[in-house]
Amino acid sequence: MSSPFAINGGACVAMVGKDCVAIACDLRLGLQALTVSNNFPKIFSYGDVYLGLTGLATDVSTVSDLFRYKVNMYRLREERNIAPSTMANLVSSSLYERRFGPYFVSPVVAGIDQKSGKPFICGFDSIGCIDFAKDFIVSGTASDQLFGTCEGLWEPDLGPEDLFETISQALLNAVDRDALSGWGAHVYIIEKDKTTKRLLKGRQD
Amino acid sequence: MTMFSQNPLMNGPNYSFSQTPTMASGANKEHSFYPYTDNGGSTLAISGNDFMIMAGDTRSTSGYNINTRYSPKVFKIGGTTSSQDDATLVLSVVGFAADGHALKEKLDAIVKMYRYQHGKPMSVKACAQRLSTILYGKRFFPYYVTAILGGLDEDGKGAVYSYDPVGSYEREQCRAAGAAASLIMPFLDNQVNFKNQYIPGSGEGHALVERAKDPLPLVVVEALVKDAFDSAVERHIEVGDGLSMMLITKNGIEEKFLPLKKD
Amino acid sequence: MNHLPQAWGRPRDDVYGPYDGSYLQNDGPNQHSQSPIVTGTSVLALKFKDGVVIAADNLASYGSLARFTDVKRLRKFAETSVVGFGGDVSDMQYLDRLLNSLDIEEAYGSTGHTLNAQNLHTYLAKVLYKRRSNFNPLWNQLLVAGLDGEGKPFLASADLLGTTFSSPSLATGFGAHLAQPLLRKVAPDEETASKLSLEQAVEAVKASMKVLFYRDARSIDKYSIAVVTKEGIDLKQDEKLENQSWAFAEQIRGYGTQVN
Repeated sequence: MSSPFAINGGACVAMVGKDCVAIACDLRLGLQALTVSNNFPKIFSYGDVYLGLTGLATDVSTVSDLFRYKVNMYRLREERNIAPSTMANLVSSSLYERRFGPYFVSPVVAGIDQKSGKPFICGFDSIGCIDFAKDFIVSGTASDQLFGTCEGLWEPDLGPEDLFETISQALLNAVDRDALSGWGAHVYIIEKDKTTKRLLKGRQD
Repeated sequence: MTMFSQNPLMNGPNYSFSQTPTMASGANKEHSFYPYTDNGGSTLAISGNDFMIMAGDTRSTSGYNINTRYSPKVFKIGGTTSSQDDATLVLSVVGFAADGHALKEKLDAIVKMYRYQHGKPMSVKACAQRLSTILYGKRFFPYYVTAILGGLDEDGKGAVYSYDPVGSYEREQCRAAGAAASLIMPFLDNQVNFKNQYIPGSGEGHALVERAKDPLPLVVVEALVKDAFDSAVERHIEVGDGLSMMLITKNGIEEKFLPLKKD
Repeated sequence: MNHLPQAWGRPRDDVYGPYDGSYLQNDGPNQHSQSPIVTGTSVLALKFKDGVVIAADNLASYGSLARFTDVKRLRKFAETSVVGFGGDVSDMQYLDRLLNSLDIEEAYGSTGHTLNAQNLHTYLAKVLYKRRSNFNPLWNQLLVAGLDGEGKPFLASADLLGTTFSSPSLATGFGAHLAQPLLRKVAPDEETASKLSLEQAVEAVKASMKVLFYRDARSIDKYSIAVVTKEGIDLKQDEKLENQSWAFAEQIRGYGTQVN
């Protein structure tokens, strides 16, 4: 268990609904089996776009700050928010720059394109290969469990409230079967002109 | 010296005897033969009030190869004949298929002998303990399998016993095992034991009232099993081809087969 | 030559230096085979309407050397079944002797009952599993072809670990990668296989043997093919691959020195 991806633990999931998307993460930060913090959110917002980062905690912080910088520079140059699909390509190329000394993170991007109103989610490996998905994206040490719950619970065209229930149940039940994830969760439900952030308590063990 | 050797057996110098030795020379050498392999696949068992369901996919793999699309992992145990028509127990084994087969044969023989000597079928409880003993008997050269034993208990309630390869066991409401266990198990927690489900508006935070654990009817459980496997097939390459199911009720064991995706 | 019988037949100490006696000690542990030496490559088999077609080439390789070019890797058992051997050839010969003595033993029985392919497969699988459990494996993967207890076509595999499985078509070794997809196209399930004619089955197996000869470097174009039905076994051991066409070879790009 010395994979850099599994030292600190953590889980993240994004889902597509009808005219909405959702992204959620757990709150645990650990050192192997020892839990160090139960308030380490893994989702970061960049205007209209949300980025979830699981993996090595130091890289989660570094990469989230790096993208804060890059997105701010983009906004100053372009005088507009970055679109989700643009963000996806920015993440991809930034990670590939470190092809032979990668950040040990598995990013997830979620958002709604403000121009077209279309939901957008995607995931990446640690060197920037994009996984575009029409349904859901999972990442982190509970990814196997998340694949199971998402594949079992998700269905097309869920409204914001149903999508919230679905992604919450998918995440909560997945992290309860992963020793390295859990301790509460953050859930973002993103609609075209409204984002709702909810904090889930979850099991504290 | 070794590099000049003409003898591939010895990896060392030749000598003038026509026969290669049957004894190893000097210090012990590391054995490179690994007696196990993983044949993939997944199994799943759920117990209800007066029934239990045991299911397993029928794909057998070695690495990325599919050995066969039909190799059942769920077996009836302890019938009086080889047809197992009057069996009362089911066993599923997933992991190393050869060990699984040997384990099944052994347990079947023991339960058959019990039935012959006592004139009645073995109870699940007794069989569960016996299976644990068999597995622990090979503690230092284990059967590389995850076993699940199913049947109806003395009160006619569904019983599921799950094992680790060396015989630790526990009676449970439901259990997934094998390659896709990590995918299926959290889904089952949620849908069978209603984990993380609360009655809306019943309280704040941990004061929320949990959804009552009402026993599920057979049709619902059967649908859950199918859904669980359809999900596993979608995301796990070692799971697929077919689903073999055994439904145990007081009327006996009903066998069902459903196709799964073959990709 | 000196007068000590212990030294007879051994390298002379004055020429080769003192003899390393450690090779002669017999207090060490027994040595088991940890890798195959002389090997046979793929075995293919396909069920059809009234039986099974099984084939294997006649080569026994020593590493990359084509060492023995006339080794028959299909063995008949009791005029009811055929076993095709892949893997170590000496272990194959051991198993063949074992099967011959089993056959003789069974023939002495007064019941007149002979072992069918299913029985034979169970027996072989148990031998292989026992040997692997003693860390002394017989380094083979074998296919057993014949008829089961009800007279229906039977085809199953058993390997050095004791793993067993059955399928309408089977292929060992390289054949599992190259031939099995072709055979599965002909017989995707039992239902389809039970409608195949002998000719279709033989054609599919021969086509697969050809593909294997083209792409498996440890293969040869001489092969054995057997058809097992309730009428008996038709075993041909000196077949040659026909209608070879190496025209495709010219089209291959990307290996070796030439690049474009």
